[in-house]
Amino acid sequence: MKKSLSVALTLGLAASALAACGSNNNNSGSSASPSATPSASPSASSSAPASQAASGEKVTLTYAIWDSNQEKGLRTIADEFEAANPNIKINIEVTGWADYWTMLEAGATGGSLPDVFWMHSNEIYRYASNGMLLDLNDRIASSQAVKLENFPEGLNQIYNFQGKQYAVPKDFDTIGLWYNKTMFDAAGLKHPDESWTWDDLYSAAKALTKDGVYGFLAPLHNQEGYYNFVYQNGGTIITDDKKSGYDDPKTIEALEFYVNFVIEGLSPAVFDDAERAELIQNGKVAMGYFGSWNLSGFTANEFMAKNFDVAVLPKKEKQASIYNGLGNAIAFNTKHPDEAWKFVEYLSSKEGQDRQAELGVAISAYNGAADLWVSSNKTFNIKAFVDMVDYGVIRPYSNTTAVWEDKAYEALGPAFTGKATVEEAAKNAAKIMNESLAQEK
Amino acid sequence: MVRTNRMPRYFVHLLLVVGAILMIMPFVWMLLTSFKSVTESTSMNPFVFFPSAWKWENYSEVLRQNNFPRLYWNTFAMVALRVVCSIVFSAMAAYAFARLKFPGRNFFFGLVLFQMMVPTQIFIIPQYLMVDSLGMRNTIFALLFPGLVSAFGTFLLRQFFMGLPKELEEAAKLDGCNIGQTFVRIMLPLVRSGMVALGIFTALFAFKDLMWPMIVNTNSNAATLSSALAKIQGAYSVDYPELMAASVLAIVPMLILYVIFQKQFIEGVATSGGKL
Amino acid sequence: MNKQIARRISKQTWGEWSWGWFLIAPTIIGLIVLNIIPIIQTAYLSLFKSGDFGRGNIYVGLDNYRKMFSDVQVWHSVGNTLLYALLVVPTSIAISLIVAVFLNGKICGKSIYRTIYFIPMVAAPAAVTMVWRWLYNEHFGLINYLLSRIGADAVDWVGSPKLSLISIAIIGIWSVIGYNMVLLLAGLQEIPKDFYEASDIDGASRFRQFFVITLPLLSPTLFFVVVTSIIQAMQVFDVIYMMIDVTSPAYEHTVSLVYLFYNNSFKYSNKGYGSAIVILLLAIILIITFIQMRAQKKWVNYM
Repeated sequence: MKKSLSVALTLGLAASALAACGSNNNNSGSSASPSATPSASPSASSSAPASQAASGEKVTLTYAIWDSNQEKGLRTIADEFEAANPNIKINIEVTGWADYWTMLEAGATGGSLPDVFWMHSNEIYRYASNGMLLDLNDRIASSQAVKLENFPEGLNQIYNFQGKQYAVPKDFDTIGLWYNKTMFDAAGLKHPDESWTWDDLYSAAKALTKDGVYGFLAPLHNQEGYYNFVYQNGGTIITDDKKSGYDDPKTIEALEFYVNFVIEGLSPAVFDDAERAELIQNGKVAMGYFGSWNLSGFTANEFMAKNFDVAVLPKKEKQASIYNGLGNAIAFNTKHPDEAWKFVEYLSSKEGQDRQAELGVAISAYNGAADLWVSSNKTFNIKAFVDMVDYGVIRPYSNTTAVWEDKAYEALGPAFTGKATVEEAAKNAAKIMNESLAQEK
Repeated sequence: MVRTNRMPRYFVHLLLVVGAILMIMPFVWMLLTSFKSVTESTSMNPFVFFPSAWKWENYSEVLRQNNFPRLYWNTFAMVALRVVCSIVFSAMAAYAFARLKFPGRNFFFGLVLFQMMVPTQIFIIPQYLMVDSLGMRNTIFALLFPGLVSAFGTFLLRQFFMGLPKELEEAAKLDGCNIGQTFVRIMLPLVRSGMVALGIFTALFAFKDLMWPMIVNTNSNAATLSSALAKIQGAYSVDYPELMAASVLAIVPMLILYVIFQKQFIEGVATSGGKL
Repeated sequence: MNKQIARRISKQTWGEWSWGWFLIAPTIIGLIVLNIIPIIQTAYLSLFKSGDFGRGNIYVGLDNYRKMFSDVQVWHSVGNTLLYALLVVPTSIAISLIVAVFLNGKICGKSIYRTIYFIPMVAAPAAVTMVWRWLYNEHFGLINYLLSRIGADAVDWVGSPKLSLISIAIIGIWSVIGYNMVLLLAGLQEIPKDFYEASDIDGASRFRQFFVITLPLLSPTLFFVVVTSIIQAMQVFDVIYMMIDVTSPAYEHTVSLVYLFYNNSFKYSNKGYGSAIVILLLAIILIITFIQMRAQKKWVNYM
């Protein structure tokens, strides 16, 4: 009676809503594409016959990414790709970092992955070893546009599992030394440059620590913190035979130098991820290590834009900067492998990589393309980020990176609060990390 | 007597005002931040309370980037369907659990309580697989799916039914009503406040649900307000002014609905118990 | 004669039974499909060393449980979770009960108050986090600024292992007051006004009325609020997740069971172990709720 009526109503509503949803699939963000496609299609159709299977039928690919800052630039590139390939339409879908992996995992479990999506060094093993990604070896071999030797070898290796390439590098990031030039000038100090050593860093930190300002920021953070020091000192985090490097004397020495900033009061004790940016953006610290991905945030911040600049990291035994990069991967079960490859091929071609750099989307992985990226930002000396690739060290990873990274954090914490010596904490970290590594398949 | 009654009145107001300031702060903050520049929004030293220039561009930018009519519609459809489902199904089950005797009652009620004890995160992937196997991703139905029935609502309305006097049903029985008629005509109107409260909560929880719509409806045309806005929070940096502007745009309809519905408490059924 | 009565009764009983089953059917079927099956799967998965994407699970019996019971962090998190519930539930219910009773009376501006007290529920989580982060900030926060004005030292509210759980509990209390208030207000509406009128004539004080009329008649709603508040508090995750990273020195003193479950299941992809933690949480909540269902006969007043 009343109930069945409301049930019927509910179902009816749902059905009508579904119909409304299915019919409309034009993306609001892609308002530029409808106008671009028709005008470009006549010229492009001549090159279209190359795609054999799709006989004029329109194919829609989803491209899943996690960084909304890149959406706009990638949309432009996708529009250009659509103009050249009128039978392919690209839907860019953005999901925030944490939910992105839940979404991808759900998709992988249920067999409904996006056609093309971003991959990361922490996750590649799980997806590649379970056969979730399309093996790109043959396609790369027969491609004119994509040659792996045009990409840094370290980045290629991340996405190579048992001899099969599962993603093509898209971009990379490095860590830079951000310094408050106003404070440096006021203190009469020379700005950091490539000649800087650890000693210069230490003495500058000492000179700048005054009036409630800390000279340097040495947080409990690996990629934007002590990893860089470890490799500059010739130490390691993970050895080639997958053992922890935390008990390496060189590693411990680097950690001691790093933690010393906190113990001597030249750096605040910082454990919280968000607090690091708060401190530097509010003038509480004069120098800090931050990755290139902070660039858009720092550029938008007037205080940072006015007072800060960036330089390459200071060296010890050698120069080093932790670098990492993501890759474009294709789902193993995509319905349109040829079209998906066409898109990835374009993203990985010199042209696509150049566009990505010009538009300032990210530092393109393609050798040489990064120089175009440098001119996309005039606020900071961002050339420093590109210069560091030559001696960059790939962010340490194994099959269970996320697990042992957190375990190492837990073990190292007491060193920063003074509850344990650095050596004790580091040896403890090595022990826990080795236990975790032993369980890797 | 009169004097002792008056004194606390000012005191009560004082307490309520202090509490109100604490409660409203994030909202005021949100509103103010939505007009600030990026720099002002993260500046703590000096701390900026009022924006130096009121940036309406934050709003126009958010409106330009998102298809708000569609987002409002998707959200509205999801909220409305979830509210209807939870009230109808919960009221039915709650009445049975509170007033009827039947085999398995305690067991099934135990099942209802059991559901509430489990962290919701464990449901996401299994429910995703169900929606996916139905081929219903990126639809309004997918948004409704986890809210089809409500253990919370069943338990809540059961408490309300249990608080009603037994004499009401006996009177109805004498008048010749069967169980269904007693339920719909007599008992249901008496738990209106409970249903309003359930409606408010269902709407609110549906509205705030972020992870589910984000994962199941990845297509931006099938997103809800909260899932679309979550995108603004990037992986590395957050544009707080735009995020807050978007949040204000999302919250205002919700707040208006609440203001309307909380009036139902005042005009509720408080006097109909007077039959006693 | 006797048989006839028996048959009539049984027919009536049968009618009541079928109505009962009919009315609960949609909810129960829905719950079984949507929730109970996933719960059973979780319990089942806790006996496995889980593979990725639901494949390659290896049966390990009770290994996950054995590992869990010897894992110090799990015991820390049990303690933290219980302590959090103990800090949040009584305080928040007391405050919201007082507010609800005030706002149920004839007080001017009650509509506005009701709206304002509800606002924390609607505010965007990001805004809520931002405000509390700023309040608690060690270097620039309002609380430490006020402390410095009276000459006190800066306090690390969130990072200090001793304080952080209390700081987090304060956010927890603050954010559930609106929820409890709406429920209690709805419950208060169900109390017939004539009870109060009758006791007014008897000359009972407001204070007495609260204990003699309001509290007993509100007890079914209050019972609901207590049970659900405890369950919610035991499942605390969001606030801690937003305020405390694994790097924080306060992590060990604040990590909750659901946080541990989340990290193991989603971050470390160890679903089997994560499932075992969920089952532990479920067992604890089950015991607490069972005790409450038993104890309700002592204080909950169903008419």
